[in-house]
Amino acid sequence: MDLGEFEADNSVSCRLASAIPDVCKTEDCCLGIDEAGRGPVLGPMVYGICFCPVAKKEALKDLKVADSKTLTEAQREDLFRKLDEAKSFVGWALQILSPNTISTSMLQRSKYNLNALSHDAAIGLVQFALDSGVQLKEVFVDTVGPAEKYQEKLSQRFPGVEVTVRPKADSLFPIVSAASICAKVARDHSVKDWNFPEDLGEVDADYGSGYPNDPKTKAWLLKELDPVFGYPQFVRFSWSTTQTLLDSKAVTVHWDDDEEDGEKAAARQNNTSMLSYFKTGSKTSAQQGNTHQTHRFFTERRLQSLATL
Amino acid sequence: MTTKKKRTPHSQNDRWVVVAADSAVETPKKDDSDPTFIRLRNPSTGNAASLYLLGSGDVQLYEVKAFKEDFHSWFIGQTVQRDGRLLYVTPMDPLYLLLPYLIKAGEEGKFQPVDQVVMDEDFPACTRLLSCTRSQTSLHHVAEEKEVGSQKFQRYSQERTMEWLKKKVHRTVKTLRKSNISVGEGVKSTTYVRVKQESETQEEDYLRYAHGLISEYISEDLSKALLKHLQLPELSSPKEVEPPSKKRKLTDKPLEAGEDYTKFNSSDFSRKPPKKMSAAQKTLAKVDKTGMKSMSAFFSPKGKAEKK
Repeated sequence: MDLGEFEADNSVSCRLASAIPDVCKTEDCCLGIDEAGRGPVLGPMVYGICFCPVAKKEALKDLKVADSKTLTEAQREDLFRKLDEAKSFVGWALQILSPNTISTSMLQRSKYNLNALSHDAAIGLVQFALDSGVQLKEVFVDTVGPAEKYQEKLSQRFPGVEVTVRPKADSLFPIVSAASICAKVARDHSVKDWNFPEDLGEVDADYGSGYPNDPKTKAWLLKELDPVFGYPQFVRFSWSTTQTLLDSKAVTVHWDDDEEDGEKAAARQNNTSMLSYFKTGSKTSAQQGNTHQTHRFFTERRLQSLATL
Repeated sequence: MTTKKKRTPHSQNDRWVVVAADSAVETPKKDDSDPTFIRLRNPSTGNAASLYLLGSGDVQLYEVKAFKEDFHSWFIGQTVQRDGRLLYVTPMDPLYLLLPYLIKAGEEGKFQPVDQVVMDEDFPACTRLLSCTRSQTSLHHVAEEKEVGSQKFQRYSQERTMEWLKKKVHRTVKTLRKSNISVGEGVKSTTYVRVKQESETQEEDYLRYAHGLISEYISEDLSKALLKHLQLPELSSPKEVEPPSKKRKLTDKPLEAGEDYTKFNSSDFSRKPPKKMSAAQKTLAKVDKTGMKSMSAFFSPKGKAEKK
């Protein structure tokens, strides 16, 4: 699998796709969606779709695609090669969501959670297939979150396509298994030789599986922590594993959308307590003590005089 | 997942990010002193000290202002600076700082040499203000001068000062107009295009705004006098008037509505005798109430309760 396009800039989201088989543009097709790398703290999350004519479902079974989790890495590579060779009737497309994309989405001001991110990646890929002329009739999806809700969302988004959302879809429908293999292989490749864009010198490549409970991953995270910057973009900052480590080991950083305790934050912002409005007398005495009010030219520009350096 | 973040107090900095005029940081000609930060009495707050900078050789005075907002830090070269302030060192007329001393001496009504007047136990550095080029040449703006022999004597003049400050205000207005600074009461968006041109009445807004700016550099008394001199009526902010207390006085007499209009409407108005109390109310009334707080005591402001 050629991940060159993603590796050129692994800080963003990237789409890779096979050529669209001609039969898929004329015959009714089924499409499977699955994802790889949802849980790990390291590396990208990969969304994969696989599609083929409904009539060719049996041919897919002959390839013996099965749930990627039950296969060894070598078997997966082998199966992906076979899928890629069956380009006369099988097509695939991938959406690689870089760890940086995941971090920035989940940690931005208006939070964009992993489920929404996943759903949108899946929708984007289905739309891509439709835009490429694939005659979609059936879509099978392994669920993210409650299956009924997800199915309803996808059905509404794609009227005219029969959407089936099932937990464990990757072991039920071969086309989903195929998608899961594509996604998993892409994730494995990208993680194996992660190209660190940061100038880090020699980085220890022994980070294990990338799952938070992997001792190797844990040790790596402890070792690679920079007190100011935290981690390279390879790490998902939005994971609680990362945040716990940053909170305890790194320098504290305050953002203006940090949630602080109500009263403390209010005091810092010079807000007056609600109670003070009900008091008589005491309110004005505090204000009278400091009659000088800086002109708004300065306050609006956040300029203040200094007493000391 | 969210842990409480502690704010550690700012540690002493030995580095600042400063925007300064070239003249402020010029390397001194030989014999001259280096540019130095000094603390001087702030003319508007009176007692509090503010930071100023004297250029090399004490030739020019600069005021130091800081842009400071929460949640800012600097990346400087290969380091991080926690203090996200941006300091501005801008030229300032030293006369503003000399003025309080002249006014104080002026109360005696005598002509005095200025170096006898500008003295301050708390801020001995204030005498250095007199070496600024502008100081000696501009004293006549705020004081009457007499020359006896080679020595000059000054006496503070309120009229001169007012004229001088008025000029300052008008110059500020000019600059405000040129820099397109919004001086009106409402907040204006720069992207919002108004159909109607700003009306002439804005002149007063500009004057008030400029007066407010100049008032940052003079005492409150002078600021008020200047407002009069500019013939601007003082804006009386509607003072918060305490609404009349709605609490009813506690009396033993039977309560009567303050305004009872029914009285005048019915011809056969007759006061009813006080209602008879039920048995339960009677027994309650007999209870010894000495030392007990009345129910209303719990709802009155704390201050009052403590006074009792």
